[in-house]
Amino acid sequence: MSEMKDMILDVAERMLKDYITKDVVDILEKGDWAKDAWNLFQDNGIISVAIPEEHGGAGGDLEDLLNLVRLTGKYAAPIPFAETTLANFLLETSNLTTVDKIATYSLQEGFILQNDQVSGTLHNVPWARHAKYLVAFVKSNQGVQLALIDLADATIQSSTNMASEPRDTVTMSDAKAQLSPVLSEEQIFYARSIETAFKIALMTGAIEKINELSVQYTKEREQFGRPIHRFQLVQHQIVQLAGETAIAIAAFNNVCAAIQSKNLLHEIAYARIRFEDAIATVTSVSHQLHAAIGMTHEYALHQYTRRLWAWRDEGPNSDYWSEHIANYLLNHDDKLWAYLTKTLENS
Amino acid sequence: MFQLPTVQFTEEQEAFRLEVRGFLHEHIKRGTFTPKCDSWLSGVNPSFSKLIGEQGWIGMTWPKKYGGQERSTIDRYILTEEFLASGAPVAAHWFADRQTGPLLLRYGTEEQKQFFLPKIARGECYFAIGLSEPNSGSDLASVRTRAEKVEGGWIVNGQKIWTSNAHVCHYMVTLVRTSPFDGKNKHAGLSQLIIDLHAKGVTIVPIRFLTGEHHFNEVFFENVFVSDNMVVGQIGNGWEQGLAELAFERSGPERILSTFLLLDELIQELKRQGNKEGLKQATKLLSRLWSLRNLSIGVAKLLESGDAKDVAIPASLVKAFGTKFEQSIPEIARLLVETYPKLDAERKFDRYMAQSILHAPGFTIRGGTTEILYGMVAKGVVAK
Ligand SMILES: Cc1cc2nc3c(=O)[nH]c(=O)nc-3n(C[C@H](O)[C@H](O)[C@H](O)COP(=O)(O)OP(=O)(O)OC[C@H]3O[C@@H](n4cnc5c(N)ncnc54)[C@H](O)[C@@H]3O)c2cc1C
Repeated sequence: MSEMKDMILDVAERMLKDYITKDVVDILEKGDWAKDAWNLFQDNGIISVAIPEEHGGAGGDLEDLLNLVRLTGKYAAPIPFAETTLANFLLETSNLTTVDKIATYSLQEGFILQNDQVSGTLHNVPWARHAKYLVAFVKSNQGVQLALIDLADATIQSSTNMASEPRDTVTMSDAKAQLSPVLSEEQIFYARSIETAFKIALMTGAIEKINELSVQYTKEREQFGRPIHRFQLVQHQIVQLAGETAIAIAAFNNVCAAIQSKNLLHEIAYARIRFEDAIATVTSVSHQLHAAIGMTHEYALHQYTRRLWAWRDEGPNSDYWSEHIANYLLNHDDKLWAYLTKTLENS
Repeated sequence: MFQLPTVQFTEEQEAFRLEVRGFLHEHIKRGTFTPKCDSWLSGVNPSFSKLIGEQGWIGMTWPKKYGGQERSTIDRYILTEEFLASGAPVAAHWFADRQTGPLLLRYGTEEQKQFFLPKIARGECYFAIGLSEPNSGSDLASVRTRAEKVEGGWIVNGQKIWTSNAHVCHYMVTLVRTSPFDGKNKHAGLSQLIIDLHAKGVTIVPIRFLTGEHHFNEVFFENVFVSDNMVVGQIGNGWEQGLAELAFERSGPERILSTFLLLDELIQELKRQGNKEGLKQATKLLSRLWSLRNLSIGVAKLLESGDAKDVAIPASLVKAFGTKFEQSIPEIARLLVETYPKLDAERKFDRYMAQSILHAPGFTIRGGTTEILYGMVAKGVVAK
């Protein structure tokens, strides 16, 4: 964690609070997005956090960036922040030049590299229609490489996820690209881990917000002559939310704390697997507490619950990570406790 | 309210963990003890407790002048985890180490500290917890055991129940009424007394646990004299003093790891069988353990930094969620590996399964029921 963290998080949160109101989140559904907030983020160097200063970035580290991503999740900010910063992070770690325009990424299979030109189709690419660049895995006989592609050369078909966020189909044919060397299995896996860490950050933010909205609502809503938080069964629901929120935040913080450690992959895996429980509980309990009003477009709860439902099936999901851990356990002899304490302690 | 510190163990702490682990494995090999689920509360073994005391592993955070080692809370956390993960029989000295020592350090007189703490640290002096009564369980403030002032001390009459291991303990920190119940302020007028369990007028009657084991007891007091120097802290301040202990009591690794041995065997069985689908299912359990452990260690760190103000909610969450987790392990494990649970089974998996199933209901009751914890957390969250 760098020294700039607290300051930049403060600045970013103030901007998000001022600019990303309920109505602003809604404009995504009309195909628009929060350009003002984006420009502010850009002017203040927030979109280039974790890019080293000598490469034209704002400095700071991945932990700073993940904390910013968590904030954009907490405000459901309709800006391509996670996308642009993850794209740049991938470029930076592959020694490609970072970009200063809107960028997005896709680590799915679909693009083929032939004679150094990219062809193929990728589905559900976030924000492609608004982005200038796409950072994607491309496959050739040699293996997988990271490509930086100008989306001006692409055919883009608009679509959205369940939360109305842009998830577009991108088709390229014989397009030029800047290419990294062939990636090792480890590098590919690392990229997928960081993609997962970004999702964990977004989900943490959304869970925090849902918890806040729900507790607030139980204080305001009265039935039978008293605020509903006075009912014991409602209290038990509040505790489910509190527990899942505490667990999500601690999981996120532990992932951040492990960024430099060789156990990062395990930390990310366990966090991501655990978020399945958290999302299932937080979405159902928060809607139950809000009852009918939570089912309306007017009220903000759906902006967060729909995002959680969408995000959990994007990128490497919990099954991917369970598979990874199961394989690890099958191939290693260490006793469970020795393994867990090593994993958890970042030794 | 939910921001907890993360902890990176130092190299010395890693080394200490391995030292404890090595010691315990050696004693398992020698047959000093047989690992069991839930043995932090049901595994009573005084000679093992003395051995632990000789290592300097009881009261290890206390001042040296009282027999402690002045080690950190995190060191103690590591020690406790290793005991639990090995299923070591540490029940005899458990409450004295976890609760009575810190209580006396905070509220005790110099005389009490000098008298009790070194003996506790040597593993020779065990304390029971005297809270519950037949008509006062969750509603603890309604206790009726009363102490009346006499020359030089107090005369105690009444009864405690569910007192774990009272039959092997030397003393009991006992919550009693020292002034009559006041409906308007039911927490007033309560005090904590140290009662010698071998004193005249004390009768201990076993209550058989559902397995038939002798674990808890009824403890009767008939005109038991307790001298003034056995009052802990202030007369009338018993409720507050008791609450201060709770964050430690609620958030430790024993609220997560009571059935760890079974989880360990589950993973080993699945690996032996090459059952990848089963292992994938089991990763859910591991992820829950991982996340609860993050919380629990975070609370320990917060307690160490003395920042106890914001710790009550996460500490209660550790117990509420942790005990449900340890309770769920047999239920999930038995669906992944075929078992016929038996306490005397040859196969460890079947044995740990039986121990876990039979002890599991108590996890969410002892130390304050889940329902009571939920009530406290909800009120705390809403009040913020
Ligand atoms: C293994 C074990 C060891 C123990 N060791 C000790 C010990 O060493 N010393 C000691 O003093 N005690 C000990 N206890 C007792 C324990 O502290 C009590 O069992 C516990 O506090 C609950 O009290 P109770 O059993 O009287 O249940 P009750 O309080 O009668 O509760 C019965 C049910 O009602 C629910 N309930 C009660 N009040 C409320 C409320 N306000 N809101 C919602 N639900 C409510 C409870 O959650 C529970 O589900 C031990 C218990 C066990 C199981």
